[in-house]
Amino acid sequence: MITKTAWKNIWRNKVRSLVVIASVSVGIFAGAFSVAMMEGAMYQRLDDALNDEISHVQITAQGFRDNNDLACLMDNTGNMIDQVRLLEEVEAVSGRIMVIGMANTATKSTGVQIIGVDAENEKALSGLHSKIKEGTGGYLDPSGVENSALIGVDLAKSLNIIRYMITGEVIDSLALLGVPEAVTGKLRPYMDIRFKNEKAFKKELKPVFSQKEEIRYGHMIKEVSQSYREGARFTLTFIDREGFQTGGRFRIAGLYDIPNNMFESSQVFVLRDDLKRLTGLNEGENHMLMIRLKDVDDTREASQKIAAMFPDLETMNWREIQPDLAMLEQMAKIMYGMFMLIILAALAFGIVNTMLMVVLERTKELGMLTAIGMNKKKVFRLIMSESVFLSLFGGVIGMIISKIIISLTATRGINFASYQEGFEAMGYSAHIYPHIGNDFFVVVTLMIIITGILSAVYPALKALKLDPADALRTE
Amino acid sequence: MKNYKYAWRNLWRNKRRTAITAASVFFAVYFALVMRSMQLGTYDYMFKSIVESYSGYMQIQNDQFWEDKIVDNAMEFSREIESTLLSDRNVVETIPRFESFALASSGSRTKGVMVLGIEPGKEKHLSDVEAKLVKYQLSDSAIEKLLEEDIPESVKENLELFRGDLYSGDGRIQLDLGIRDKDADRIMQFIRKHASMENGYISLGEPGALVGGRLAKYLGLSRGDSIVLIGQGYHGITAAAIYEIKGIVNIGTPDIDSRIIYLPVDICQELYSAPGMLTSLVLHLESNDDKSIDETLERIGAGLADPYRLLGWKEMNETIVSQMDADNKGGMIMIGILYLVIAFGVFGTVLMMTAERRREFGVLISIGMQKSKMATVMIYEMIFMGLLGIAAGVAAALPTIIYGYYHPIKFSSDMAKMFEDYGFEPVMAFKWIDNYFLWQSVVVAIIVLVAALYPVRNIFSLKEVNALKA
Repeated sequence: MITKTAWKNIWRNKVRSLVVIASVSVGIFAGAFSVAMMEGAMYQRLDDALNDEISHVQITAQGFRDNNDLACLMDNTGNMIDQVRLLEEVEAVSGRIMVIGMANTATKSTGVQIIGVDAENEKALSGLHSKIKEGTGGYLDPSGVENSALIGVDLAKSLNIIRYMITGEVIDSLALLGVPEAVTGKLRPYMDIRFKNEKAFKKELKPVFSQKEEIRYGHMIKEVSQSYREGARFTLTFIDREGFQTGGRFRIAGLYDIPNNMFESSQVFVLRDDLKRLTGLNEGENHMLMIRLKDVDDTREASQKIAAMFPDLETMNWREIQPDLAMLEQMAKIMYGMFMLIILAALAFGIVNTMLMVVLERTKELGMLTAIGMNKKKVFRLIMSESVFLSLFGGVIGMIISKIIISLTATRGINFASYQEGFEAMGYSAHIYPHIGNDFFVVVTLMIIITGILSAVYPALKALKLDPADALRTE
Repeated sequence: MKNYKYAWRNLWRNKRRTAITAASVFFAVYFALVMRSMQLGTYDYMFKSIVESYSGYMQIQNDQFWEDKIVDNAMEFSREIESTLLSDRNVVETIPRFESFALASSGSRTKGVMVLGIEPGKEKHLSDVEAKLVKYQLSDSAIEKLLEEDIPESVKENLELFRGDLYSGDGRIQLDLGIRDKDADRIMQFIRKHASMENGYISLGEPGALVGGRLAKYLGLSRGDSIVLIGQGYHGITAAAIYEIKGIVNIGTPDIDSRIIYLPVDICQELYSAPGMLTSLVLHLESNDDKSIDETLERIGAGLADPYRLLGWKEMNETIVSQMDADNKGGMIMIGILYLVIAFGVFGTVLMMTAERRREFGVLISIGMQKSKMATVMIYEMIFMGLLGIAAGVAAALPTIIYGYYHPIKFSSDMAKMFEDYGFEPVMAFKWIDNYFLWQSVVVAIIVLVAALYPVRNIFSLKEVNALKA
């Protein structure tokens, strides 16, 4: 009965209730959507790191991790790989040779980590083969005659392998992307000039555009104007097993494109056989075994099992390799909690005010109810229920709207292209696909109910203090 | 009676409602100010530590160098240029730099590094490398000995967390290890005894190198060891030399710490076969605020002849600028959401106020009060309410912000570790009172005035007869 009355009471002053409901639903929606964006970005980072960068479990010789010493090798890894594969949790295993060296082109050189991989095993292990930038070639091909290498787009940029040029084609494709004639027109005087790198391109073109145009289209122009010749070559130099300088000329099989600048500009993948020959290592010698599990949740048990199999080696799982990734989830939960708390606290002010008005406006009515025998407990519950219904109703609307908007945007994502550089420097993709777990809604629902109850305490106490005799006399 | 007096008195007719509405504005203003101050302050701090430890606020370079950082794009350096630069009123000192890339190796370990030739004396003005020399090292043997000493369990646990870390001052090590002030003297004594590290500095004319702490660890180097540098010198001449390590430095930014080697600038020029040449000349400025930097950039840029080019810190640190810009927008959206919610609250109050006073409005108008006067009073009321909230919010936020400005939040133990893993210094600073204070008032004013539209419209469309019956 109290519940029913409370529900009906809400609709006695529709405008007022709707304002509160709207404020709660807008607040909850805004909060939920922001959380979905943060959570989406976080899960993408986690997925990218595990799929393309570090995998789930890594085995190295003791001490290799500290300084990538070429001599810190594991022997007889062929048998190890077979053994690890037998574990039921394991999806794929691949051995890697890793050396530090320099990548050089005619004009630039930079320090890199060169990773020799077994192309077939690697495809099962890492998702990198599916991240090749369109039009730049493909994954490492073991059947080629030349040494071949897979490098990141960022490395290609810093080695001046990717150059910049505006061609008729570039202008056409910009027009297709919706860049207005006024902007592409400004590019025409620079047609067919080859710029050796991004900075030079930017320096030349920046003064031509207004700030607004630059923010809006700068990124697109930069992307589309990249000019890359498939099959470019560069050299890698490094120290071999005997301590002599060695190296070789490599043909670039393709460029991989992932949202992590650090990784992209420092990790060069080559075929294990080529690197083995150049460094003078033997078959079966590897620096690292990377292991991909069928299910991430098995990480702890699987890495313990593997560690027990090779007590002389160092086995680390992704949580140990990148503790920041492991903490990300926890940190994010704390942040959402605080964010929602602030929003709900702000909402509470509005609810308190409204409920207070409800009580004051109904002084006479409440007095009457008490006078004819409604006990104080029921009055208290009536006010409480009204407040909770009000906030919960708004909250549910807010959550429904967020669920709809999130699932609408989740497939296509939201692209913050103009901030790409900053995002990718941190390892995050600028193209965010909002994502939210159902547990979030459960927690938020509870939080809303608590907010509703807490906001009603003061007004309800106010109602309890009413003296029926006085209350009846008020106008 | 004056309109504003009416308004003020009206506010106190329903104290509770006024107080709650003002409190909601207060809440938003307080949060927004403290959040903004922390966000902006932390950017400033991060910029300062990155800009001051590496790029400086302004550099003169060869026109080509920034696009293509190779030794061939170094510039001739003459006294004339120096004296013209020094004649600018904001330039205190010019600090020469010779920056290049090399492969550093020690035994079978190799790494690509950044070689930075500096003038050891002048560098004091900017990155102050000397102050960054490592004083303490939590090496395995140091930790072993420290564990035997009489120190609190929590500190012992933290020792494990920061195993291998380097410190160039007392403050950071105390924070990381969670040493409380009252124990500091006693515990620092043990740390000095077991974990101290002696380091020397470099000077012009003497071959010798300083190595970043993370790099030294990676290459397994300590003071007195030798390091081999191989690179490409001026016009393709091979640059190779061996140097003694004079000291280990601890640079806050991990990305720089793990790949930097400092040499005296003349030794560096010799290594790269480029005597008398520099890759950049950093200008040490009198005042570093945005405005005077922009003015100085304009002044000096105008007088600079062709092979030279002037770069500001924003141009030199684009990635961080873009990162912070994105983060800044994120912070603004959060505050926007907060204000949106508050706006609804304010509107709710206005709605009540109007409904409650319909009859009063009716009476007043029937006895001859002008509608415009009544609307004005109403607007005054709203403004007062907003002002109360802002004033209270500012009053509460000021002590927090001022305290935070003088005592930045420095994280210790786990949190510090996480910040460092992300490549940031574990510090959250506050920004001093600035424009962002003004913005809060503007936002609240807009909210309040928009909310006031409702009662004003209501007053003008009021039918006295109906209102009297309410």
